[in-house]
Amino acid sequence: MNRLKQLFSRRRLYGDLSEEIQGHLEEKVEELVGNGMSRKDAESAARREFGNVTLTKEEGRDVWRWSFLENLLNDIRYGLRILFANPGFSIIAMLTIALGIGANTAIFSVVYAALIRPLPYSQPERLITLTELRPQQAGAADVNKQTWDNSYPDYLDWTHQCKSFQALAGFSGDGFVLFGAGEPEPILGAQATVNFFSTLGVKPFLGRDFAAGEDIAAGPRVALLSYGSWIRRFGGDPNILGRSIQLDDKSVSIIGVLPRAFEFAPRGNAEIWVPLHIEKDVLTRRSLRWMPVIGRLAEGTTQRQAQAEMNSITASLAAAYPQENGSIQVFMVPLRERIVGQVQPLLLILFGAVGFVLLIACANVMNLFLVRTAGRRREFHIRAALGAGRGRLISQVLAESLMLAAAGGVLGLILAEWGTSLLIAAIPDTLLAFTPFLRDAHTNLAVLAFLSIAVIFTGIAFGLAPALQISRGQESETLKEETRASAGGVRTRLRGVLVVAEIAFSLVLLIGSGLMVKSLTAVLNRDPGFDAKNLLTFSVNLPPTTYPKDPDAIRFDKEFTERLSALPGVAGVASNSVVPLTGNGASIRFVVEGQPVEKGHENECNIRDVSNNYFSVMKIPLRSGRLFDDSADSTTAPQHVIVNEAWAKEYLHGQDPIGKRIKFTYSPKENYREIVGVVGNTADAGLDSPDEPSLFLPFAQDTNSFINYVVRTGSNPPSAVGEARAALHAIDPQLVMIQPFTMDQIIAQSPSVFLRRYPSYLIGSFAALALILAMIGLYGLVSYSVSQRTRELGIRIALGAQQKDVMRLVLGEGARLTILGLVFGLLAALGITQLMRSLLFGVSALDPLTFASVSVVLALVAVVACCIPARRAMHTDPAAALRYE
Amino acid sequence: MKNDEHRDLFPGALEMMILRTLKRQPLHGYALAQQIKRTSNDLLQIEEGSLYPALQRLLKEELVKAEWATSSTKRRVRIYKVTAAGAKHLEREVSRFNRMLDGITRVLARGES
Repeated sequence: MNRLKQLFSRRRLYGDLSEEIQGHLEEKVEELVGNGMSRKDAESAARREFGNVTLTKEEGRDVWRWSFLENLLNDIRYGLRILFANPGFSIIAMLTIALGIGANTAIFSVVYAALIRPLPYSQPERLITLTELRPQQAGAADVNKQTWDNSYPDYLDWTHQCKSFQALAGFSGDGFVLFGAGEPEPILGAQATVNFFSTLGVKPFLGRDFAAGEDIAAGPRVALLSYGSWIRRFGGDPNILGRSIQLDDKSVSIIGVLPRAFEFAPRGNAEIWVPLHIEKDVLTRRSLRWMPVIGRLAEGTTQRQAQAEMNSITASLAAAYPQENGSIQVFMVPLRERIVGQVQPLLLILFGAVGFVLLIACANVMNLFLVRTAGRRREFHIRAALGAGRGRLISQVLAESLMLAAAGGVLGLILAEWGTSLLIAAIPDTLLAFTPFLRDAHTNLAVLAFLSIAVIFTGIAFGLAPALQISRGQESETLKEETRASAGGVRTRLRGVLVVAEIAFSLVLLIGSGLMVKSLTAVLNRDPGFDAKNLLTFSVNLPPTTYPKDPDAIRFDKEFTERLSALPGVAGVASNSVVPLTGNGASIRFVVEGQPVEKGHENECNIRDVSNNYFSVMKIPLRSGRLFDDSADSTTAPQHVIVNEAWAKEYLHGQDPIGKRIKFTYSPKENYREIVGVVGNTADAGLDSPDEPSLFLPFAQDTNSFINYVVRTGSNPPSAVGEARAALHAIDPQLVMIQPFTMDQIIAQSPSVFLRRYPSYLIGSFAALALILAMIGLYGLVSYSVSQRTRELGIRIALGAQQKDVMRLVLGEGARLTILGLVFGLLAALGITQLMRSLLFGVSALDPLTFASVSVVLALVAVVACCIPARRAMHTDPAAALRYE
Repeated sequence: MKNDEHRDLFPGALEMMILRTLKRQPLHGYALAQQIKRTSNDLLQIEEGSLYPALQRLLKEELVKAEWATSSTKRRVRIYKVTAAGAKHLEREVSRFNRMLDGITRVLARGES
């Protein structure tokens, strides 16, 4: 503080000193004159006794000087002058750095929001998710990531018995038609046990939390609004508490509003939260697993201890309920891992890729710096001769490089802010809803800290080598104009190394993006098992008050289907309990007749309720047997099932399925059902997932009140939405069309496609940027070397070298660097592409075709980059070249 | 930097003498120089100028403070005064100097005997 004050009051301090010294001398002179000396003698005597006035003043001032800072300020002032004197160089260097830092900062903002920032709950590290799993169920291998289902009775037993958790809470997705806030509209919501928010450590921003006893009632009576829906749908009304709204056919009173910052990624799209309101049947069926559970570990308890306790509880439940829990296992995954697990590898790969871009940018700017410092050698020699120490010379160059990096950083920050919003905007809304933490991806302190570190790293990275070179050459060399022969040497070798590194890095990025693009193509080309073109899907929920029984739903379905089919341009209408490719859907346990199974260890597969014409409308091929039929599979007809090929392969091991019988085990009343047909597999869980065994039941025999329709249109499915909605309202104006999407939209928004398309674009852009930078580097180096060798080339041409010899000479130099870069790049890629295996689909991480084709492309571009200087070399005029001597 | 003013003195000696002199009586630069010369019976060869960097150091350390005033000869002068910290510093330095002198004297005395 004091020092700073001194820094600013120094002008006065210096003035005082000068005046004082002046006074001293005058007083002395007067005294001597008073003693009888002549004024002239007195003046020189006074000065003699005083000593060197200038030096004294300087030493006096030096006392106040803060020498480190002042040298730095000098360096900066001088550096700025140099940078402004050379705007072309400065702008190119700054832009290169800005691109590198900007891209890195943008990706870092997203990485920070997703992976580094703690979840916004109290002590989030103590939150663990629990899931029950049967090894027999489909996709059991992938359980930790996807499966998150528990039965309600088991959950209740855990809450009573388990001491490792301070609290256990469950929730589930839900959807309602909202009446009483504008037009009736379907909204997404969630239901939860009453302790859900207190388990997370979240308190409502307005009103109160759920209270004990508010769950398990016949239906939702109270609701909490998300902050967003409070603002959007209710205009942020401060008197919202106690207001009644209608959800489906029930009147619900709003008891609170969740905080603005509240997010819960697994139900990120929920606008409204209600207490658990499942039918009694579901609440008591132990074999029905549907509820995700979150636990807060008790103080001082580890996940391992909790797992041990849960294992013993699971074992005792299995003994008590062998039929339901015979093969149940309980798995625990930290909440954070479950939330960010899917995006983590993607983000880390992007972060790595963009880091390469920054390295290449640094190498490029270092290259520019080396060339420029070579041109400034005389200047540095003069400064050295005038007494600048080695440290001062280094700090001068570093000051310049850090200033450039800082300017690049400021520009980069703007680019990053813009880039981050682009990164977020590129994520489909349906996926963004489940990554609410990305809302926080913007400039904050952590991002600024990252930016500063990047700037300092960058500045030192590209400034240090030139700085060291300058100071190294400085002692031995003199002020004489350097000879042409000495122009090469270390400097060019270092530049060669940089170019090789740039080529190697860009090759790695190009290969990475090649593999991503190939995976994307493979996913998009994957046959989903049905014709996805011209297909519209939407859902209808039939409220139990107006459609209490199955026949009501069947009647509605029949009438609606007829109306839809009559619309012009509609080629077919069918329904399924699950929208294909969305990864939703239920599973069921069954036994095959003649395959005895230990109680509780039955197989488990997907189950779908489909309309009779589902397979023909979807163009799913029939492999053997028959499809469902209106007369043979009516409500009262004998119960039949259709299986898919994966099912037949998994459970019948090549026997003919037709005529085989299976039985569901959830109820003793179930009878054997005959398999009447086998259909082709469909990609239910996403285009990148393996074929899963599935069973199909006719809608007429297994009716739902939530029906997903698929409409095959002649062309342009979106145009059919309006007419379909009109048809729906003509039957029942209270019904709402839920989530109308074309199958193309569903595919584009699905994680399987998005997780490839996104990195394809991004790594592709990074690779393109890297390639451009590397080629500029290569071009720059070859041009420089041509200009340095003008005399040599002139002599060669004068001695009879042909143009093609000169061309070969120059290209040879470029080729040597390129080949070295390719070799190192290929070696690096062999290891690095292994890291992205989890994102690849249908292509090996070592795909030889990608490796080879990308290398060829890079080599061709490199030849082009070298051709330009080579042409110049070819046309060297020997007379002009030699005249330099 | 040059340290010519220490040619005949050990580091800190000049500052010590300045503080001692100023403690007796606040003075401006010229008077201070004359005072030191006079008291040392011209034994010490100090360039008058060397006082000023030393005064600046003391100012910076806040061991003395300075104020512009008008002298008895109607001259605008800067009067230096010892601060409390300066007085304490002087005490410490003097006792250290005495101990050092004591040691040196003993060594020299033994050499003679």
